Amino acid sequence: MSDAHGEKLDEMLKSRRIEPAGTELAERIILKAESLPQNHTIPPSEWIRRLFAEFHLPRPAYVVAGALIFGILVGLYNPLDTATDDSDPVYLQSFLYADEEAL
Amino acid sequence: MAADWPDKDDHELLALLQAGSHHAFAALVRRHTERFYRLAYRFVQSRESAEDIVQDAFLKLWEEPGRWQPERNAKFTTWFYRVVVNLCLDWKKKKRPVPLDEEMPLPDERETVDAAMIRAEEEKILEIEIADLPDRQRAALNLCFAEGFSNQEAAEVMGLNLKALQSLIMRAKATLRERMKGRM
Repeated sequence: MSDAHGEKLDEMLKSRRIEPAGTELAERIILKAESLPQNHTIPPSEWIRRLFAEFHLPRPAYVVAGALIFGILVGLYNPLDTATDDSDPVYLQSFLYADEEAL
Repeated sequence: MAADWPDKDDHELLALLQAGSHHAFAALVRRHTERFYRLAYRFVQSRESAEDIVQDAFLKLWEEPGRWQPERNAKFTTWFYRVVVNLCLDWKKKKRPVPLDEEMPLPDERETVDAAMIRAEEEKILEIEIADLPDRQRAALNLCFAEGFSNQEAAEVMGLNLKALQSLIMRAKATLRERMKGRM
């Protein structure tokens, strides 16, 4: 097809006619909406976003919370060696009689 | 009309709408009904159906204002064009358009005396051929030629990248050129 036909096609595509809308279309829509209640359901993605927003903390709070959790974990996995075990008689004896040697 | 709020932009009106303002909704409808009707009409080629589609789109917005999420959509009209295009495509799925008369007489030599009549016939044929294009090609064509969107804007409305949209337009025009061959 020649360029002239191509141009004519473009021109026709741009100038396609439409039947005008009814004059009161906008008013009809507005009127109909008056009888409809609004539904404020939140889409799931928005709900999740808001949920996380609820738990938002300032950065220092995250640092403190992180340090606490880290401390607890370290404490759990590395019990203190200095913890006394009363059931250990040798340890207990050496503790009780330690001072007597000095005397 | 005071309720038209010319000083408020679409986003401000939508914020009010989401807070339940019917006046804001009315302003938005009056501001944009015509343009969305034009788009719907080009798809469905029927005044009643186009009006129904635009009405449905606006009433859905009124009933569920949370559908509009400003942080996810840059521009109300771009988003709402997409809503209307989707409704048009749904409409087409539900109800096949009444096939236009394929036996429609084509302008012959005797008819060329009336240029206006020939043009009207050509336009009818063009509408038939456009109606027969795949949905996405038709949508791209309508947005770029009828609504005057730039390719980039049309791509945004259709959720495509620029190259994909350009490809749709090229294919649509090539098909139309081929089918209109000898008819104009």
